[in-house]
Amino acid sequence: MQPMTRPGPTDPRDGPVPADDVLSIRGLSVGFAGFTVLDGIDLTVRAGELVCIVGESGSGKSLTALATMGLAPPGARIAADCLRFTGRDLLPLTERERQTLRGNEMAMIFQEPMTSLNPVMTVGEQIMEPLRQHRRMGARQARETALAMLSRVQVPAPEARFDQYPHQLSGGLRQRVMIAMALVCRPRLLIADEPTTALDVTIQAQILRLVDELRHEMGTSILFITHDLAVVSEIADRIAVIYAGRIVEEGTRDDIFDDPQHPYTLALFAALPRPEDKGRDLASIRGQVPGPDAMPGGCRFAPRCPFAIEKCRAERPPLLDMPGRAHRVACWRAPLEESVR
Amino acid sequence: MTRPLLEVSHLFKSFGGRDGLFRAGRRARVVNDVGFTIGRGETFGLVGESGSGKSTIGRTILRLLEPDSGEILFDGQDIAGLSRGDLRRLRRRMQIVFQDPFSSLDPRVRVGEVLAEPIRLHGLREGAAIEARVDELLETVGLAPHHKTRWPHEFSGGQRQRIAIARALAVEPDLIVCDEAVSALDVSIQAQVLNLLARLRDDLGVSYLFISHDMSVVRHIADRVGVLYAGRLVETGPVGAVFDRPSHPYTRMLLAATPSLAGRSRAPAQDIAGAPPSPFDAVTGCAFASRCAFASDRCRTEEPPLDTFQAEDHRAACWHVAELPPLGPEAAQGDAAMSPAYRRRIDLLRRAQAGSPA
Repeated sequence: MQPMTRPGPTDPRDGPVPADDVLSIRGLSVGFAGFTVLDGIDLTVRAGELVCIVGESGSGKSLTALATMGLAPPGARIAADCLRFTGRDLLPLTERERQTLRGNEMAMIFQEPMTSLNPVMTVGEQIMEPLRQHRRMGARQARETALAMLSRVQVPAPEARFDQYPHQLSGGLRQRVMIAMALVCRPRLLIADEPTTALDVTIQAQILRLVDELRHEMGTSILFITHDLAVVSEIADRIAVIYAGRIVEEGTRDDIFDDPQHPYTLALFAALPRPEDKGRDLASIRGQVPGPDAMPGGCRFAPRCPFAIEKCRAERPPLLDMPGRAHRVACWRAPLEESVR
Repeated sequence: MTRPLLEVSHLFKSFGGRDGLFRAGRRARVVNDVGFTIGRGETFGLVGESGSGKSTIGRTILRLLEPDSGEILFDGQDIAGLSRGDLRRLRRRMQIVFQDPFSSLDPRVRVGEVLAEPIRLHGLREGAAIEARVDELLETVGLAPHHKTRWPHEFSGGQRQRIAIARALAVEPDLIVCDEAVSALDVSIQAQVLNLLARLRDDLGVSYLFISHDMSVVRHIADRVGVLYAGRLVETGPVGAVFDRPSHPYTRMLLAATPSLAGRSRAPAQDIAGAPPSPFDAVTGCAFASRCAFASDRCRTEEPPLDTFQAEDHRAACWHVAELPPLGPEAAQGDAAMSPAYRRRIDLLRRAQAGSPA
């Protein structure tokens, strides 16, 4: 996993959207019944990049993905200053226009393959479907392409598996089939929502390696959603940490892991059991994630933050660059060593 | 020397067969000749991947499942031959906490009654003393007495897991089986529940059988650990020894496959190939041989016993344990593997957390 080379030192999040951004999201908000669940999300995925959104349950990380795919649940009110995919504005698209993108130029995989695979269609039929629909391939060519994809995702005995149904496969094999289905049209963007969370750790390692190989082979950008910081550390080029519907910190993998700034990012790290904590209490975060009907004013993490001051409870901190870098933090008290005595 | 609280030996358990759910003659051998002990106030971790048999072992010990054969001694008493009444009395001393706090609590029963019922059932308190005990239990797990009039759905996942733990504690057990009890929780909540379990052990002397797929969690909470593969214990010993000096190739593979915060700075993971065998397939020799880089003909024909390697309490079942490549220089672990800025800020956070009211 080598870091991607990017043109120039300028930050493409400023100014007009450059052509090489696969996904640019500015000010994305999603609400239900008067409650704002996502509140002003800014996120960029550049060509060939793997960007992780990391956060706990209820933070809005999956909703960000679904809103991008045009799959937000009914009743969701979606607003954005900008929601562009390879330069095209997604917001005004009709459902029919969306369908020509999904499974073709943008694809999604989920935590539980059984909920997205069709139980009454064979593995082969499901991988061929996007080829027939989006690429207008004939039966023979679609079969050959699908079989090649099935062996590329390292499904053993692909010819035999081709005619089997999802329930006849193990969890790890199903995840491979879902990846084959998602990538068979070589999409520009793959959104992966906790794709390895339900898998055993040795199978997870295999799938993570496969995803990394395929994205380099196909030049596919990936938006990877997870709660697991160790997984993030191993795969991410860039990371957005999300809390209660807002991005609180964003930067490269090394920015976040070598120079974490936001108290929530720090608290997530500190809560993980380390060998040196044996026999000692873990650093848990007091309180719990606020519900959408009870979002605190100011910084949403303030009620749980040991560094919070009056300003944190009163005023929303903007997501600002750390001096001289494209590492952004939404915290009135960052950098902490200068403000905390 | 006092006897261990729990002594399990030569435990076998299979499912299916002629009259079962599966096709005739096909039996899934899920637990194969497993043995271990748990001392009083001790935590024994069981790690392994899905299908390794870890949950079946937990349920068999509580006799929620009947073992095919083997001996389970609880406080010196064989639970296999117990009458229903004796078993019920013994069950008071053994409790279980499951992974999913959403399905393990009855949605139509208020929290106070969830906790009062087992107290009444086992005749542990009477009258007003029951109420007082419920309040005490809620406080023990970090909830408040006013929570007892609430319904389970009014609580978050972490709070429900606390209620499930309080219910287990209600009958003053000696052993609690925690079956993936923190696996469904977010990391900050997981930390709270792990702290609670450790405190209960220190204050009440409870023993735990802690079943988990999460190596870092087991390392944190357990005193000793057993590594299961395809229903067999392949390595067992004190957590420090097993995790720092893994002596079975499978344990090494599990640890290599576990992602770490230090991320890419680690050496590339060893070859992590294959998947565990199906429990329906008859395995001869070592069950791990098909995935093992060191397997020989002997491994494929002859099953290694759990004493090919033995260093005090640390044991492993591998014919080639003496020839395995030496472990690399001990990699930095925990915060030592992280940057100075990381360590400085985590330290600031810890000091601030310690200084601010919880």
